[in-house]
Amino acid sequence: MPTVVQDRYAEVKARFQQLFEAQHIQLNGHASHPYHQFRAEAIKKLEGLSFPTRRDEEWKYTSVNRVLQPEYQLETPAEVTAEQLKPFLIEGLDAIRLVFINGAFREELSDIGRLPQGLTVMELDNALADERFQEMVQRQLDSLMEGQTDPFMVLNAAFARHGIFIHVAKNTVIEKPVYLIHLAAPGDVPTYSSYLNIVFAEQSSEASFIEGLFELPGAEGAYFNNLVNRFRLKPNSHTHHYRLQQEGLEGFLISNVDIEQDGDSTYSSYSVDLGGRLVRNNLATTLNNQGTNTNFYGTYFAKGEQHIDNHTFIDHAMPHCQSNELYKGILTDKAHGVFNGKVLVRKDAQKTNAFQQNSSLVLSDKAQMDSKPQLEIFADDVRCSHGATIGQLDETAVFYLRSRGLSDAQARAMLQHAFIEEVIEFMKLEPVKDFAEQLIMKKFEE
Amino acid sequence: MLTIKNLKVSIEDKEILKGINLEVKPGEVHAIMGPNGSGKSTLANVLAGREEYEVTDGSIEYKGEDLLEMEVDERAQAGIFMAFQYPVEIPGVSTSNFLKSTVNAVRKAQGKDELNAVQMLKLIREKINMVGMNEGLLKRSLNEGFSGGEKKRSEMLQMALLEPKLAILDETDSGLDIDALRIVADAVNQLRSEDRSFIIVTHYQRLLNYIVPDKVHVLQGGRIVKSGDKNLALELEEKGYDWLKEEAGSVPA
Repeated sequence: MPTVVQDRYAEVKARFQQLFEAQHIQLNGHASHPYHQFRAEAIKKLEGLSFPTRRDEEWKYTSVNRVLQPEYQLETPAEVTAEQLKPFLIEGLDAIRLVFINGAFREELSDIGRLPQGLTVMELDNALADERFQEMVQRQLDSLMEGQTDPFMVLNAAFARHGIFIHVAKNTVIEKPVYLIHLAAPGDVPTYSSYLNIVFAEQSSEASFIEGLFELPGAEGAYFNNLVNRFRLKPNSHTHHYRLQQEGLEGFLISNVDIEQDGDSTYSSYSVDLGGRLVRNNLATTLNNQGTNTNFYGTYFAKGEQHIDNHTFIDHAMPHCQSNELYKGILTDKAHGVFNGKVLVRKDAQKTNAFQQNSSLVLSDKAQMDSKPQLEIFADDVRCSHGATIGQLDETAVFYLRSRGLSDAQARAMLQHAFIEEVIEFMKLEPVKDFAEQLIMKKFEE
Repeated sequence: MLTIKNLKVSIEDKEILKGINLEVKPGEVHAIMGPNGSGKSTLANVLAGREEYEVTDGSIEYKGEDLLEMEVDERAQAGIFMAFQYPVEIPGVSTSNFLKSTVNAVRKAQGKDELNAVQMLKLIREKINMVGMNEGLLKRSLNEGFSGGEKKRSEMLQMALLEPKLAILDETDSGLDIDALRIVADAVNQLRSEDRSFIIVTHYQRLLNYIVPDKVHVLQGGRIVKSGDKNLALELEEKGYDWLKEEAGSVPA
């Protein structure tokens, strides 16, 4: 008789299935809607998948045990006023704003107004009922689930009740960025939230998206945000994707960004990870044709017992493509950082330019950084480089700054800020850059 | 202003300074000369507050306070400025941002109002003209990729902005061409005043053609072996240091 290996997270899966059933009962006849079917299939799929353990190479440095322990509820109610939202509005940024709290869309806090011509923003279930988009959206949803083995992706789909679809029309440049605020308002009951965005950028379009993940000031408690972004970039389109994250001390975040780029398209990611008890970001792109640009710029700053893990994957399958990747971060106290950057240059991907660098400052004896650049090259005419450095602050620089009257703390903050500044500099939108700097400076002062 | 008594300093158990006595009064310019390895830079570094130097004996009093008990930043806030021989390059910190931060940090510590952006710009413009620095350097990272002369100008600009009571120049003139040397000398001469003192540590007499010191001290083997007026510097230029060694050798330690 074959031995049965017990799934150590069987109970966790059962709890999520019960949550799904409970929500399903409230649907009142909407169960046949294609979006609900998508979600129902996802929860079914979860049954056959296992949550990763540290024996999985991809999760060697990050244990999800802590994330899966709490008994989560969905869309726990939260009173949030417009006033409380203010710290998260970006000064000087005129944006289309969508606000979600504990996983639920909050229209009264959002500011959508009249959308610019060529930009469509709607909930995924509506998009699936809209004949202009239904086929396109269905295909993207299918591609997310096809052969999907990541239980977090499947879990996201199952509970993404308020998934968002964003469409940018051909040859349109959208000046007004879309700003999605995912605010956690935890309390006594641990909250689970799925956020799913499908972004479809048509040929020669250009647009910027900002995601902000924050915790309501003064709130306290465990929660788990499971975020999925799917970007489908048609030829020659340009997409800027900002993700600013300052989750709470008991917040868990698992984020997956899945990008598919056609020829001559550009995708740029600018991420700032400051918060969260445990954060895992997976950022992966597939290149369908020649002439693409992919930019992954990331910063992280972890204190206390925070754990921030960035996994990236760039699959160079076609020739004449370029990728730039720069991740810089700071770890102090007992914080743990992980960087795993895989770049695959397939045999046909001649003339590929791929650059990757990860640099970290580790400021205390108990802080830890695991950096693993992975460059696999099967083509012979390429320019590729990668590097990883882990170091401390330059004490001669600290002394120099102090000799000019700055306190030890000021000097160190200035140098740490300078270290990550290089990454922030890549941000195109000045107000977002300033806002990111403010968040970082505030964390230095904590 | 500054009183150094019987200062003995070691680094890694090796005694470098073997009993220095020095009195600098307000408004005076003192030159400290001496051959390589005589302890000139050690003296400058101890004044600046470098921690790797161990003071084994003696005292340093600055404006009536025990300097050795003051932290590096406290010394700067109390009006001590050190122009370094090798200013540190700091990537990512823009020169202008750095200047603003230091000026306001020192002002705040001294109980003065911090300058706003407009006042700061005006002040920086004024001083940058004084040291003949290219304004474009303000936008660049501090000292990063600066030429030797630009680095020294940057140090002089900081000195002019921070308006210290006691400025120490640690071989600021080494390796400078005549134009850069004049910049350093001009900056010092313009800042000379009744209540501001300078200690100029130098290997070469040439700088003293442009900055006329009140006192010249020769440091050798960790001791001040001779003190005099500006003429001593000329004598050293002519005769070198060896004659002093003989003279010092005959004096019991």
